Amino acid sequence: MTRLERTRRVVAGAVLVCLALAVTESTALAVPAFARKYQTSCQTCHIVFPKLNAFGEAFRLRGYRMPAETEEMVKEPPVSLGAPAYKRLWPQAVWPGAISSHTPLAVNVKLADVNTSSLNEDGTVTSVKNDLQFPQEVNVFGAGTLGDHVSYLSEITFGEGSDGSVAVELEHASIHFDSPFGPEDLFHFRLGKFAPNLADGFQEMWISTDAGIDSLFNYNPIGFNGGTGLGADAVSPNPISLPTLVRGIEAYGIIRHRALWVAGIANGVGPGSNDTTGRFDGNNAKDVYARFDYKIGGMGFDGDMGGHPIPDKNWQDNSLRLGVFAYRGDASGINFPFTTDSGLMTNIQDVHFQRTGIYASLFTGDLNVFSVYLHGSDSLQVFDAGTAALLSTGVPDYHAWFTQADYLLYPWLQAGLRYETVTPADRSVPTLKTGVANLSALIRANVKAMVEYQRDLRQGKNHSLNAVLRFAF
Amino acid sequence: MFRHSVVIGSVCTAIVLAYVASPIGASDSITGVVKVTGLASSADAVVYIQQAPGSFTPAKPAQMDQRQMQFVPHVLPIVAGTTVKFLNGDPTPHNVFSPDNEKYNLGTWPQGQSKDYTFNKCAKTPCVYTQLCRVHPEMEGYVVVLQNPFFAVTNKEGHYQIDNVPPGSYTLAVWHEKAKAQPKPVIVEASKPTTVDFVLGR
Repeated sequence: MTRLERTRRVVAGAVLVCLALAVTESTALAVPAFARKYQTSCQTCHIVFPKLNAFGEAFRLRGYRMPAETEEMVKEPPVSLGAPAYKRLWPQAVWPGAISSHTPLAVNVKLADVNTSSLNEDGTVTSVKNDLQFPQEVNVFGAGTLGDHVSYLSEITFGEGSDGSVAVELEHASIHFDSPFGPEDLFHFRLGKFAPNLADGFQEMWISTDAGIDSLFNYNPIGFNGGTGLGADAVSPNPISLPTLVRGIEAYGIIRHRALWVAGIANGVGPGSNDTTGRFDGNNAKDVYARFDYKIGGMGFDGDMGGHPIPDKNWQDNSLRLGVFAYRGDASGINFPFTTDSGLMTNIQDVHFQRTGIYASLFTGDLNVFSVYLHGSDSLQVFDAGTAALLSTGVPDYHAWFTQADYLLYPWLQAGLRYETVTPADRSVPTLKTGVANLSALIRANVKAMVEYQRDLRQGKNHSLNAVLRFAF
Repeated sequence: MFRHSVVIGSVCTAIVLAYVASPIGASDSITGVVKVTGLASSADAVVYIQQAPGSFTPAKPAQMDQRQMQFVPHVLPIVAGTTVKFLNGDPTPHNVFSPDNEKYNLGTWPQGQSKDYTFNKCAKTPCVYTQLCRVHPEMEGYVVVLQNPFFAVTNKEGHYQIDNVPPGSYTLAVWHEKAKAQPKPVIVEASKPTTVDFVLGR
């Protein structure tokens, strides 16, 4: 494969990934079930939904409970599943719980007008104009608390294919145990399928676009030289990149209002679509991840203001948040088929892979600038698909980073710019550089209109312009 | 003679009327507002005098119903030694038991029937008995046993009024199932209403 061919392949892959993301999952949540429970506006927790403000982040981290929550804040009192006195009777009685007095469901609907242009490997350009994806996806959420110290979140996403088929994905289904013991907010844990707190803060929390951050979540390391770029020869989202969703167990907590710690165990890479065992994990090894953040200024992770007055504008939170994170995966025994340029059919195993990164987010006035750097390395073993003979080993690495600036022009109008890059492990392939411009307007508190332009900064023939209307109820 | 009788009769009538208007002679009332922070309602707080001189004999039995799957009243203050009649006003069977103090389980019985329990075994004040129903775990009520009859239960707005309190120096306290407040000293003077407010926190 020549350099030009590789370049074209990566470019095509990148655009395909963008398209794929536009029509598949987005883990960003906006859950009107909470607005109903507290009879409060979306703006209590969101800047431009689903982007959270500091209060919303505290609400999320505290297990969907308001900081210093009192009963009078809950406008729809829950249905008691047992008088509190039954706690004293345990184990001679069932520990009491509660459920929402209303049906804790919420719906997000996303309509998109998709326009794309992409350079093909043969040099031609494919363009799509005004593809009215009405709807592109519908998300049904269930979320709430189950009495003291227990909460839950579920999300089912429906997408309709161009052939009339309907794809259904269970994106979230998790139960959370919030401060089950010890000091308040020092220790939480949850299990199920969820967006790990590993990436929260620069993936779920910040995205106001619906296109994801490709550089961090869609890099594919499979290839002779450790991969060529985004999504090539892999399903989206790439299971070996930084995961947007995991099946696993996660513990996290807040230390003295300002520090956030996270540690998790995830199932890891699945066995692949050809597997018939019914497993979700491709091997017996588990992936592990951790994160640590510290926040200077603004509202504490638990909503504590340290005696300082809360800003009048609820999107403002003059602060600097710094974080480090790491993910270690094990995909040994899981074969990724790969055919070389000479036609040799191989299986590649990613025996170990590591992702480490740093994160920073600055809020000052109406401006929020945030950035992430990610380094990845993979221990690859290449086997002959026919004989299973080990052909080669290697530890290629890649790195990616993005920076984004969001500015609130009005309380209902946000402009955002993002620049992101991926330097693939195969250094013969040029670094992918992408620019994104986004304008998001809240037509109503729960109705968002958005225009987003994305451009491959190496090859101007790859670009997309999407108009999205999203509403939640 | 008749004239004298009229005069004596009038004097006696005046004395009787004066006594009726103030049955304990110079006693008066304590009123106030209890605010329970963090709760939508300030109802069901029991405001009571911790210790009053003398001994107090319980009057007629008190009553706590189980109606529409709730204990009614939700909070029932009584003087120690009072017998409480637990009714079942629902078409479904109800049970009454308490995990507190000497603990009891009165059993389960159908609509229209009742069972009695006399609260004379607990020495401390207030002595709170949580009332639970094994058949319906969400049901909860409270019997608050006190040393004297000078108590009142707040309404939704937190207002209370304790009547017929003899003049003297007391300590006024509040009990609430979810909130607490420090007791307050209070001096009740003859024919002079006294106001004491409380703010309860979790």
